[in-house]
Amino acid sequence: MAKSMTYAILEAIQGEMRRDKLLTLLYEYQKPVAGGEKGAINLEAEFGRWRVRFCAIDEQWIVGGALGMSMIGVPAIAHIPSMTTFIPYELMFNHAGKLRHMTGGQAAFPMVLWADMAGRIPLQGAQHADAGLESSYARLAGLKVVIPSNPYDAKGLLIAAIRDVDPVIFCQYPVPASGQPVPDEPYVVPIGEAAVRTEGGDLTIVGYAPQTVEIAKAVAELKKEGITAEFIDPRTLAPLDGVMQTILKSVSKTGRLLTSDDGSYSFSNCTEIVARVAEALPGTRIKRLAFPDAPAPGAPEMLSYMRVDAARIAAAARKLVKG
Amino acid sequence: MSEQDKTRQTAGGRLGGAAGPGGAISRRGFLRRLGAIGAGAAVFSTAICQRARAQYGAAAPDGPTLEQLTAMYTDMLKIRMWETKIKDLILGGGFRGVAHLYVGEEAIAVGVCHALRRDDYIASTHRGHGHLIAKGGDLGRMLAEITHKATGYCKGYGGSLHITDVSLGILGMNGIVGASHLFAAGAAYGIKVKGTDQVAVSFGGDGSIQGNFFSSAANSAAAWKLPWIGVIENNGYQIWVRAADVYGIVDLAQRAQGYGIEGRVVDGNDVLAVHNVARYAVAKARAGGGPTIIECKTYRWYDHYGAGGAKIGADGAFGLGYRSDRELRDWMAKDPIPRFRAFLVAEKVLAEQRADQIAAEVRQAVEDAAAFAKGQPLPKPEDGLMNVFAQGAVALRAG
Ligand SMILES: Cc1ncc(C[n+]2csc(CCOP(=O)(O)OP(=O)(O)O)c2C)c(N)n1
Repeated sequence: MAKSMTYAILEAIQGEMRRDKLLTLLYEYQKPVAGGEKGAINLEAEFGRWRVRFCAIDEQWIVGGALGMSMIGVPAIAHIPSMTTFIPYELMFNHAGKLRHMTGGQAAFPMVLWADMAGRIPLQGAQHADAGLESSYARLAGLKVVIPSNPYDAKGLLIAAIRDVDPVIFCQYPVPASGQPVPDEPYVVPIGEAAVRTEGGDLTIVGYAPQTVEIAKAVAELKKEGITAEFIDPRTLAPLDGVMQTILKSVSKTGRLLTSDDGSYSFSNCTEIVARVAEALPGTRIKRLAFPDAPAPGAPEMLSYMRVDAARIAAAARKLVKG
Repeated sequence: MSEQDKTRQTAGGRLGGAAGPGGAISRRGFLRRLGAIGAGAAVFSTAICQRARAQYGAAAPDGPTLEQLTAMYTDMLKIRMWETKIKDLILGGGFRGVAHLYVGEEAIAVGVCHALRRDDYIASTHRGHGHLIAKGGDLGRMLAEITHKATGYCKGYGGSLHITDVSLGILGMNGIVGASHLFAAGAAYGIKVKGTDQVAVSFGGDGSIQGNFFSSAANSAAAWKLPWIGVIENNGYQIWVRAADVYGIVDLAQRAQGYGIEGRVVDGNDVLAVHNVARYAVAKARAGGGPTIIECKTYRWYDHYGAGGAKIGADGAFGLGYRSDRELRDWMAKDPIPRFRAFLVAEKVLAEQRADQIAAEVRQAVEDAAAFAKGQPLPKPEDGLMNVFAQGAVALRAG
């Protein structure tokens, strides 16, 4: 059985906590426990409560505490639940992202903000079904943002984030176990490198996290019709330059770009990618698909009407290629 | 816990436990008074209520009327039976919604909301069905909303965590822990600006007082004597995290002292004890005496969320891992509903037969609500683009 997203993440933390005897995890109620074929992981049982600490319902503490301890060289991971993404925003933008620069390079925050992201799940209501918030972090100076779409990338990106001396926001959306098998040993997926999921010549499709499931279905459908799509998963949203190299290379070959996003339409990460392509490769045919600029309703019929799905991606791709 | 301890003040309280000028009375006095009202009298007579009012005077807002006591009992049953129905529907499979069940904590919602007027405000939580029912929410429209139907309170947009009836002074349930306190304190400020004698109450769990929402609410309410009442429903757990493991104090109302607010600790499974303190706090707030923080000690019978560990037709969620079955059984033995019923019967407010009749009526009302919700239409998909702003619809961007 493939390792789940949670298992892969905990395996990454376990390996890093064994390697670095100071690395500490602060969390709220999402127990760092997971079962898998290789045996269960239970971080508190292995490392003790001082290094694996459940906290009050206090995301300011979880993130602010992690920042403070990382400042004195105790690297930290702050895990917060999905409905609280912006509660520590002030700490991240005015402190984590600025202090190295403001102190002329002295201050460092070797910390990871492990932010759960809900995604567009039905029957919850808007506060528990958000997506796309990562772009609000990605636009802040001094912060790195990574966003895995499968367990392999999750483990490798998280290890890269933990080893990075700068603050990194690690966004965990609910995604099924897919992709490469996850090795037991630690490994790094470098921050700033996109992954080409499928190669193709007719158009480039860019999307991440839960949208990768819809895109993969659409790509398979299009292939049957003789349209080959190059599907790129950015994996890193900030800094974006390395990712853009991969995307620009692809678009200069296909001449067409389709982005697909669970976040709302305006001011999203895909908007930034589109802008950079438009700037670098004038004449590219472009289409952006996204959630409307609206909160996510709980009723499933409203929600699925608003969300981008495989059929809509395929339809937009056909139009770009043939229209 | 001794009788006097049922509504004891915390170290932080500034007023004594005995009757203050605003009409607070000791529990013992309250019981005596209720006994006097009920003793030897025909139970349903409105003349008794009138005599009681004449005896205690309109100026003393202290005792609930017999009708109110009966209504409180009825509302506790409504919450219990309506939520138990939802638990059974969830366990039956295919339920179109979610729920954080309030069962076991009914005495708090009812004790507090029955001290309020219709035009007073409440701000509620993820575990707020009980607050809404006690403030007058309609069982059918609530169930329609939980199942995201077009005719639910929020037209299917919100669901269980967001049911609201603005016309009843409900500022909403809320999925973000602690936010209720801030909204109620803001409403209390608005009341001051308007110059009315309304009050605003927020409910929140033991977990709700640590984020900065609570502290912003409490500080501002204290500084400007806002008519805010912060109710802490301390059920001992924040999902599975024990409050005792993440707080340095046991009585959370002790925090009140640091803000300069009167704090009270009360047995949250005793509806009269809760009601007594709430009436006191409301009268004080209306009279310009400022905020009160009331901590109610209680327990939830089900899991944090959903119906794990529960069975159709049986009460309580057992085998949850983070708490012992014995702890649950101990608290179920302190069930606020039979306790209140026994009191009402002993004090001759209700005859056994009438109490049974009320239970049967509520059971029927819950069945009617379920049938109503089931028959309601689904929302139209394109309505998801509406209600983002007061006017118009936003553009679909998926195609
Ligand atoms: C700010 C915030 N942090 C975390 C959560 C996730 N969460 C939802 S309910 C809950 C526990 C709440 O505990 P408590 O306030 O004691 O209320 P109870 O559920 O016990 O009634 C948590 C952590 C949230 N909704 N909002």
